[in-house]
Amino acid sequence: MTLVLLGIRSLLKNPYRSILTSLGILIGVLSVVVLTGIASGAKALVLQSIANLGPNLLVVIPGSVTDSGAQVGGGTDTTLTAEDAQAIRSQCPDIWNASGALRTAAQVQSPHANWSTVILGAEPSYLPVRDWRLARGGFFGDQEERGMARVAVLGRIVASRLFGLSDPIGKFVQINHAPFRVIGILSSKGQSPMGMNQDDMVVVPLTTLQSQIMGVTYVGVILAAATSPDRIGAARREIDGILRLRHHIPPDGRPDFEIQAMSDIAKTAGRLSLILTVLLALIASISLIVGGVGILNIMLVSVRERTREIGIRMAIGARPRDILVQFLSEAAALSFFGAMAGGAGGVLFLAGIHLAVGWPTPIPWEGLLLTVAGATLLGILFGLYPAWRASRLDPMEALRYE
Amino acid sequence: MINSDGPGISLRLEAVTKIYSVSGEELPALRGISLAIKGGESVAIVGSSGSGKSTLLHLMGLLDRPTSGELYFGDRRVDALTPTERAVLRNRSIGFVFQNFQLIPRTSALENVEMPLLYRGMPARERQDRARELLASVGMGDRERHTSSQLSGGQQQRVAIARAMAGSPGLMLADEPTGNLDSRSAATILDLLLSLRDRFKTTLVLVTHDMEIAQHLSRTVRVRDGRLEGSP
Repeated sequence: MTLVLLGIRSLLKNPYRSILTSLGILIGVLSVVVLTGIASGAKALVLQSIANLGPNLLVVIPGSVTDSGAQVGGGTDTTLTAEDAQAIRSQCPDIWNASGALRTAAQVQSPHANWSTVILGAEPSYLPVRDWRLARGGFFGDQEERGMARVAVLGRIVASRLFGLSDPIGKFVQINHAPFRVIGILSSKGQSPMGMNQDDMVVVPLTTLQSQIMGVTYVGVILAAATSPDRIGAARREIDGILRLRHHIPPDGRPDFEIQAMSDIAKTAGRLSLILTVLLALIASISLIVGGVGILNIMLVSVRERTREIGIRMAIGARPRDILVQFLSEAAALSFFGAMAGGAGGVLFLAGIHLAVGWPTPIPWEGLLLTVAGATLLGILFGLYPAWRASRLDPMEALRYE
Repeated sequence: MINSDGPGISLRLEAVTKIYSVSGEELPALRGISLAIKGGESVAIVGSSGSGKSTLLHLMGLLDRPTSGELYFGDRRVDALTPTERAVLRNRSIGFVFQNFQLIPRTSALENVEMPLLYRGMPARERQDRARELLASVGMGDRERHTSSQLSGGQQQRVAIARAMAGSPGLMLADEPTGNLDSRSAATILDLLLSLRDRFKTTLVLVTHDMEIAQHLSRTVRVRDGRLEGSP
C-alpha cells in the first residue's frame, strides 16, 4: 500500500506529464462511453416505436416474392380485400382481432384552415388491434362501416391544425370537397417505425374511403393481433392457410401476400443495433488502445529518466518486487484517473446530447463500469513491461547512470 | 535515543575476482582478493583511481556480484544470493554513503531518510519519528522539508549519512564520502561518520585516495591493479 502511494506521489511531482498521459485514456474511455450510449439510445428508439405498434401484431401486405427471394412491388398489389380480413378475423383461432386498412393522401379542410394529410380507411376493429385509444369522442362502428358513413376521427396534429383550441367534435371537415362529421380524436401515438407521424392522420370507415374517395375494392394492408405473443407463429400459419385457400394458391405455390410479425422486426432491429453497438465500441476501443500505448511510451521514458533513482532505491534495499509495484501503480493510477475522468466526461456528454437533441441516451452504467475497469486493466498491462524493466535493472549500473 | 544493534558485521573475502566484459573484451577489475574485517573495525581502502577499490566496496555492499571467490557476512555466505535476498540484506545490514550523495531528486530530506525503513514495512508514524531523530542527530533537523537541490553538498551528505544510519546497519560503506566537498565540510563529514561509528559500533569500510583521511581509521588496506598490496 505504501508503495502504491509512492507511485501516486511521484506522479504528482510531474503533474503536466501525468495529465497529458492520462489524456489518451480519457479520450478513449470518453469515445467508448459516448458511442455506445448513442447506439443504445438509437436501439431504444427503434424498439420503443415497434412496441408502440403492438408486440402481438401481424401485418399482411399484398405482393409476391420471386424465386430469388426478392420482393416485387410489395405492398402495392391489390390482391387483399376486406373479405380476407373478415375471414382472418372469424376463422383463425389464434387471431384475436383483425382489420383491413387502406390509405391515401388528401387535402382536408375546416371552415378556418386546410391541411394536407393521410386519410386512413379502417374497420371498427382497427383501434383494438392497434391497442389505440381515443382522446375524446367515439369511433365508428359496424353500422357506419356498412353504411359508408361520412364520419371522421382526427389525429392529434390534424385536430389542432384544423380547429386550433376549439372542440372539433360534431363539426364538419371537407375531404376532397365531401363533408365528413368529426366524431372523435385519437390519443397521441407518435412516430411509427417507418418514420411516419401517426398523429398526422384522419381515420374514416374503410368502405367510405374505398367507394367514395378512392373508388377501389382492395385493402392496402391487413393488421391482425394474435391472442398472445407466444401464439404468433401459429397465427401466422393460420393466416397463410386461409389466404392460400381464398386466393386459390396451392401449399407449394408462391403466395400473393406476405406476413410480417412485429416481434420478428423487433428482433431484427435489436440484432442490427447490437451489431452497431459492438462495431462502434470496437472503433472506440482503438483509441483506448492508442491511449494505452501512450502510457507504455511515457512509462518507458520515465523509467529511463529515473534510472539513477531506481538504483538508489535498490541500494537502500528496495526489492525488485518493490520497484515493480511502484511503477505498476503509477501506470494503474494514470489509467484509472484517466478512465474515471473519461467516464465522467462521457456521462456529461450523453446528458448534453439528451438535452440538446432530445434523443434518449440512457447512461450505460454497466458498460461504463466495464469500460473504466477495462481501461485501467489496459493501463496496467501496458505498464507491465516498463515496470518489469525497471525492476530488472542492475543496481550498480543504475547508480552510475547519468 | 537510537540504540545500536550490537557489534558490527564481520566480513570475509576469499579469492574474490571481478571481471567486466565490455563488448566481448574482458577487463579484470579485481584479480583475487582475500581480506578479513572484524566486527566493529574501521578500514580504509586506498588506491589510485582505476585500482579496483570502488569495485571492491560495491561487492562488499552486495550491489554487484563477484565473478569468482567467496564473500561472507559473519558465517553466512552472501556472494550467490538472489537479487531479492541481496536487497533485503542491503536494507537490513548495510548503509551506503556515496561520493555524489545519491539523494532522490524532488524528494524531501525526511522522505530520503525514511526510505530504508519504508522498504522494511515500518509504519509511517514510527518511520517519520525515527527519521526526524536521525536528521536532528546529523544537524539537519531544521531542513527536513528541503529537497536535494535546496541543500549544499555538505548538507546533502549529512542527509545521506542519516539515511545510511536509518536502518541501524551493522556495516557502513562509504565511497569517497568527502570527494565532492570542500575541505571544511569534508572534515565535518568525516567527524560525523567517525562519531556515528563510535556510537553505533558498526563496522566501517571507507574508500578514499586521501591518506590523511585514511589515517583516522584503524587499518588501511591498499589496492593496486586489482590486488591487495603486500599480498602475492
